[in-house]
Amino acid sequence: MSGHVAFRGRDEADFDGEADYVVVGSGAGGAAAAVTLARAGARVAIVEAGAWRDPDDYPISAYGAMRDMMDDWGSQVTVGRAFWPVVQARTVGGTTVINSAICVRTPDDIFAQWERDHGVGELRAEMLAAQDVLERELSVEEAPPESRGRSNLLAMKGAEALGYPESHYMRRYVNGCAGSGQCLQGCKKLRKQSTNLNYIPETIARGGMVLSCAPVDRVVFEGTRAVGVVGRFAHPASRARGTRFQIRARKAVIVAASATHSPLLLMRSGLRHAALGKHFRAHPGTGLFGCYDTPIDMNTGATQGWASTGFRSDPGLKLETLSMPLELIGSRFAGGGAKLIERLSEFRHVAMWCLAVRAESEGSVSRSLFSDKPVVRYELDRGDMERFRQGMVLIAKQHFAAGARAVIPGVAGLPYKIGPDDLGVLEEAPLDPRRYTAILSHLFGGCVMGRDARTSVVDHRGRVHGTTGLVVADASVIPTNLGVNPQHTIMALAMTFARDLASR
Amino acid sequence: MTARPLPYAKTSDGVPALRDPHMNWLVRSALAILFPPTGDLPGVDNGGLDAFVARFRRETPWLLWLGVVMGAMVFHLTPALTVHVPLPAFLLSPALADKHADRIAGSRWYLIRQAIFILKLPGGMAWGADPAVREQFALAPMERDPGTWRTS
Repeated sequence: MSGHVAFRGRDEADFDGEADYVVVGSGAGGAAAAVTLARAGARVAIVEAGAWRDPDDYPISAYGAMRDMMDDWGSQVTVGRAFWPVVQARTVGGTTVINSAICVRTPDDIFAQWERDHGVGELRAEMLAAQDVLERELSVEEAPPESRGRSNLLAMKGAEALGYPESHYMRRYVNGCAGSGQCLQGCKKLRKQSTNLNYIPETIARGGMVLSCAPVDRVVFEGTRAVGVVGRFAHPASRARGTRFQIRARKAVIVAASATHSPLLLMRSGLRHAALGKHFRAHPGTGLFGCYDTPIDMNTGATQGWASTGFRSDPGLKLETLSMPLELIGSRFAGGGAKLIERLSEFRHVAMWCLAVRAESEGSVSRSLFSDKPVVRYELDRGDMERFRQGMVLIAKQHFAAGARAVIPGVAGLPYKIGPDDLGVLEEAPLDPRRYTAILSHLFGGCVMGRDARTSVVDHRGRVHGTTGLVVADASVIPTNLGVNPQHTIMALAMTFARDLASR
Repeated sequence: MTARPLPYAKTSDGVPALRDPHMNWLVRSALAILFPPTGDLPGVDNGGLDAFVARFRRETPWLLWLGVVMGAMVFHLTPALTVHVPLPAFLLSPALADKHADRIAGSRWYLIRQAIFILKLPGGMAWGADPAVREQFALAPMERDPGTWRTS
């Protein structure tokens, strides 16, 4: 059995399948694991909650992106003092379809931290070898000069003027960026190497199978051995539930459904681990708009093309550009009525640059009493909020160094715009997270790896403690905050775990 | 005794959904005040707002639509807090409604700010997708989202 099976209505027969390995999720982790197993000669079934959308199906608008690509329209928010959105995709290819494909190698200190704090010490060589393969296969390249756009060029100028460390044009899984500024809706130009374009078709070509529109209800066990998954198809437009599906795994089930959905799936499957759903971490971030005298047209050029990783250790930040479409600016700019429209009239002259905090705060993922969605409890402690504020100051300074006449900080209670002489306002900004408009873009934990079954969910090979034939291979196993974009680490981890599985 | 019609019906996913068209009106009237025509820029109520609200209601998860409706209710019921007039926003003069829109969006209370933020989200999407608005920003009109996927 190979190929693709999409939504099946209730009037159709239940779908039963069998494969050597069943992979739940088709994003960075799931696709990397699946293709590794397929290359080793195994029959692999990928089961994905979202629909399979090819570039011709990709939306154009932000509305379409939220409707067609995001998990629940991107409406998942953290539960805590502030409601910060948790952005995740729900489509074949997962978040690799809607992110900016930023490729950053796993920093060496992360491997050391995993070994020191979690007893996981032998992954470095294998993961770095996997990252070599990924960079070659997914055409990693620096954002080319012709597609950088003014926002990215100005960010570099500001960072150089201030001597910001490790300021660089991003390396991304993009083959000849066209600079269409459509990363967040999916790259219709076929330049971004999201997994729906490469590893998933290759898995099928090697005899594998993909079930799309197929959210998994639970992993099925025989004793302590995972033997498959069951679920019910869900229509991508109406959300109506379809017929049931069941895929039996001859060798193992690999869960790669994301840092929020993987722990939830294990909980629904009856697993009880003290650490399950715990140690959830993230990169909370926000953007500041610089206002320039000449048009920036930030949606021209790479959506994200510049970054600085030089503040990763001290104070614990990543700085980067991110262009925002006009349709989303309306809710991002403060105010309402004529004043809001006047502010929006500046759209061509603003550039948004962001900070992401390498936060030490931990949260949790748990089951909702009212739906099948995860509940993410998370808020930043004072230290992280101070880092957050420091990041805002760094970005504001960078805008001014690049020639901005004003900066829009987007902090409730602060002036709408501040000038170069008003940085003190930002330096003294309140530390209450409710004052800020922020999102969680990179998520970690929930099924963290470690040697000790009392404090971790999986071991150094992703195997769930106390079970056989069950592996987790996504961001949920990462026990620390990376401080860099995680896709490269997730894919390398998944490949490493899959190679280990295939070798047994 | 005659049976009264239920104020709600089941949607395809079994969730009760308010069918009252007043909900659409409540949302669209709030959006029209939040995104008015200003200077050379058209407002959100530039011809397609009713269709947009109906589509948004049809296509979003019910919880998100509920959040938008709640945002519209907060918007309409709070002029007493902002312009000190005990009338719903839709009965205010255009000048007062405009003042209310700006002040309520910047409310010192977080939950009110969030409610208006959720309301502004579809408003911004409708406004930013309007070809007449996009023309003002030298942006090409957007093609229709295909809304398609692989079926086999």
